[in-house]
Amino acid sequence: MSVLIDIILAILAIYLAFQSLLAKRLTQTVFIFFAFGLALALAWVRLGAIDVAITEAAIAAGFMGVLFLDALRDFSPRTSNNQEKTEAAKDIFSKKNTKSLLLPRVALVLGLVLFLLISLEAIWNIPDGGGLTVSVETMLPESGVEHPVTAVLLNFRAYDTWLEIGVILLGLLAIFATGGIKLYLKPDVPAQDILLRQVILFFTPILFLFGAFLLYIGKSGPGGAFQAGVLWAAIGILLHLGGKPVFSMIPRWLGQLLLTLGLGFFLLLGFILMAGGATLFEYPPAYAGVLILIVETLAAISIAAALTAIFANLNQMQEKPNDIESTT
Amino acid sequence: MMIKEVITVILLVVGCFFFLAGTLGVLRFPDLFSRLHALTKADNLGLGFIAAAMALHIGSPWAALKIFSIWFFTLLASSTSCYLIARFQKEKDQPTDRKEVE
Repeated sequence: MSVLIDIILAILAIYLAFQSLLAKRLTQTVFIFFAFGLALALAWVRLGAIDVAITEAAIAAGFMGVLFLDALRDFSPRTSNNQEKTEAAKDIFSKKNTKSLLLPRVALVLGLVLFLLISLEAIWNIPDGGGLTVSVETMLPESGVEHPVTAVLLNFRAYDTWLEIGVILLGLLAIFATGGIKLYLKPDVPAQDILLRQVILFFTPILFLFGAFLLYIGKSGPGGAFQAGVLWAAIGILLHLGGKPVFSMIPRWLGQLLLTLGLGFFLLLGFILMAGGATLFEYPPAYAGVLILIVETLAAISIAAALTAIFANLNQMQEKPNDIESTT
Repeated sequence: MMIKEVITVILLVVGCFFFLAGTLGVLRFPDLFSRLHALTKADNLGLGFIAAAMALHIGSPWAALKIFSIWFFTLLASSTSCYLIARFQKEKDQPTDRKEVE
């Protein structure tokens, strides 16, 4: 029975992935992509990787969904103010397409074949005895946490996690570089709807509490900084949508501090540990639990701030042409 | 024990029926408002039945509380988004409405 569910889930995930690529309209693509994210999250649950499942659901179906919907609004004929231009652009694009369609197709097929070979090779060479599980289990008492995934992420492979936080910040910097940075100073637009405002106010403390819970539970079960960060980012995005853009309401230095807090403290801690004679991110076992909790909390704050800022900047970038249109 | 399982299965089947009805409504109904109605009402009810079945299946009051809070938050979020989508559609149909008020 459970094998049947797994097979259905695998077929569903692949089917949805293809459908989201092949869908005719952008709206369909976006919504099938949501469904794909949820199917993938379910697949992770079936594989016993609850941490990955929560992150997948929160980021792929939640945060990316918000970004895609936002982009979709930009593409919809109602808001695009120069439709003839886009029509012309589309024509050029499609002409280009017919000419050079062969190369992408060949690349796609080659990529698929390569991917298939690599996955087959990986399945073939799954090590007996569960890979690194044994060595993680033996080192677990020294890591300061009880959950093996958190132990790997925040202690054994802390360097990777540090880089991941950096990647999110780097993405934000790229968005800043493409013109988002000065748009922080957008005048407050109050949410026109009293119901929306009330619901957002109602959900804000609950989301905060749930994020804090996920952060703390990461010590002994599925959860942790990334999941908590996404939930806290949801607060920022909701407040932004409800007419309270957080980043234009707090002072600029505070925003920058929140953005760099996680990465900065993580690195500082690593350097202090190195100065004490250990290697980078080698926590003393006595303090490991506390240090991991502090690092995770600050990382979650930074991730939340970065994701909120990514949304806020992308959201404001597309409002720029509309403003220009209204002034002319 | 046996009765509990039977009730769980019945609740699950009823929940699935409402989900099916809601999906059918989304696929078959002609306009956005009736589709929204089918989706939010039927799905919320279906989720409620499934939540009840799961709570009964697990059988601990703490888990039941968690499951029903999930249902409650989903109820709140889906009815709000239903309202917002419906309002958006209404404004699209009658664009003068809001501007006259302002």
